[in-house]
Amino acid sequence: MPLLFAQGLRKSFGETRAVDGVDFFVESEELVSLVGSNGAGKTTLVNLLSGLLVPDAGSIAFQDTDITAVPVRDRIRAGIARSFQLVNLFDQLSALDNVRLAIFSRDGTTRQVLRLAERNRPAREEALEVLRDFGLEDKWDTPAAGLAQGERKLLDVALAYALRPKLILLDEPTSGVGTREKGTIMDAVAQLVRERFLAAVIVEHDMDVVFAYSHRIVMMHQGKVLAEGTPEQIRADERVAAALLGKA
Amino acid sequence: MDVLLAQLLNSLLYAAVLFLIAGGLSLIYGVMRIVNLAHGSLFALGAYVMAWGISRVAGASGAEPAYLIVLLPVAAAAVGATGAVVEPLFLRPLYARAEEYQLLLTFGLLLILEDAMRYIWGATPLTVSPLWASFGSMHVLGATYPRYNVVVILLGLATAILLWAFVFKTRFGVILRATSQNRRMAAALGINVSAVYVQAFALGCLMAGLAGAVIVPIQGAVLGMGVDALILAFVVVVIGGLGSLEGALVGALIVGLVRTIAIQYFPELELAVLYLIAAVVLITRPAGLLGRA
Repeated sequence: MPLLFAQGLRKSFGETRAVDGVDFFVESEELVSLVGSNGAGKTTLVNLLSGLLVPDAGSIAFQDTDITAVPVRDRIRAGIARSFQLVNLFDQLSALDNVRLAIFSRDGTTRQVLRLAERNRPAREEALEVLRDFGLEDKWDTPAAGLAQGERKLLDVALAYALRPKLILLDEPTSGVGTREKGTIMDAVAQLVRERFLAAVIVEHDMDVVFAYSHRIVMMHQGKVLAEGTPEQIRADERVAAALLGKA
Repeated sequence: MDVLLAQLLNSLLYAAVLFLIAGGLSLIYGVMRIVNLAHGSLFALGAYVMAWGISRVAGASGAEPAYLIVLLPVAAAAVGATGAVVEPLFLRPLYARAEEYQLLLTFGLLLILEDAMRYIWGATPLTVSPLWASFGSMHVLGATYPRYNVVVILLGLATAILLWAFVFKTRFGVILRATSQNRRMAAALGINVSAVYVQAFALGCLMAGLAGAVIVPIQGAVLGMGVDALILAFVVVVIGGLGSLEGALVGALIVGLVRTIAIQYFPELELAVLYLIAAVVLITRPAGLLGRA
């Protein structure tokens, strides 16, 4: 069985079938890109996988356990973390505290609540290490609001990573940043997949990024999977080209 | 000189109690974005529970030795527990609705609490001044001042420091501040936002209850004291900035000082002066002196 295995997922909003019978899987240590025009159902699918939405039909299994109706908090414990399309940070907290929060959350909020955060050396060390992984160690003391857009995107991914997931879901991790920063962010993600044995699902519009970094590409169109395969296969697929051109 | 010092201590006493009330109000607003109109009534509840508890323990003798002050945390905890019941039961169902509903609900709670206190303890004020008297008085730089009042000032100071350390130095504090800044992201990181809300609300209520319990040996428990306290707490948070603990402290000190001066020199304008300051702050710095716009 793959790490994550979803079957027959459906989700409608009123008359709109946002996700309309999707089968989807992710293997361990695999980087999968979800592509497709706006409204194809990519974000809805990510929301179903991360637990923000419950599917109308279908099932999701993670590590051979059914998680179809499991709430977000328990999915995080099981090892699924995500970032959002729009950067979601705690703006007045320092970069370090942002990451530390994820670590506190992962370790459970009920134990040792009164423990001094500063005294919690392991959490501090770990947070600094996560910042280092993303090249943000120099900015540890900067409030999130004071970071550049590319750094904010990186920190956003770092927060999800700090939860120590087995699968990380990134909804447009490179949107709104320049080409060079896109490379920085994707290099960081690819490195985590390679060196920390993470699996990643990435929603991405930039096909250059998608082709350069993905192990596998899933193309969605109007709530359904239109095509699926390696970058070479997708590049050669005429339906994909047509759908992409249709979007442009 | 003695009079001036006594007045200064009086304003600190007043500021300490106001900080406890307004700090709780501000904490709840800061984390949950709820303006709790019942906050003053929870302060009054603390006063009534303390007065009632002392009279039960002291019994018919009427003697209220100083050690009865140990009932302070009990009364405060009782009010905190009330908050821990009220939040999940009444407020939680309304978070998805417009703010007006939350205001209406907390206003309803205010009315219910006021009537409940009238029903339970009657219209006659409860006093526990023997406890206050049993503390005696002390000499502070040549002035004679009631020792109990000094205890209250120190208690306010200690609470301010503890609260600051709690919010800015502990793990829970990090979680609390994060939840107040971005509830959605906190939930996405797996933080139990519902639990954080109960804890924050209960803590705010506990502070109000502590304020009530600590003031009752000085001024007794009277119907209507909750509404008066609520209004003054609003003046404090308007001046200091709603949602800011430092603001609540600064606001409480300003209101405490101004009120003491006003009572001394132009007592008939006491409240008017406070409202005037609040109005000036609102016009020049709408977010309050230390609030974030």
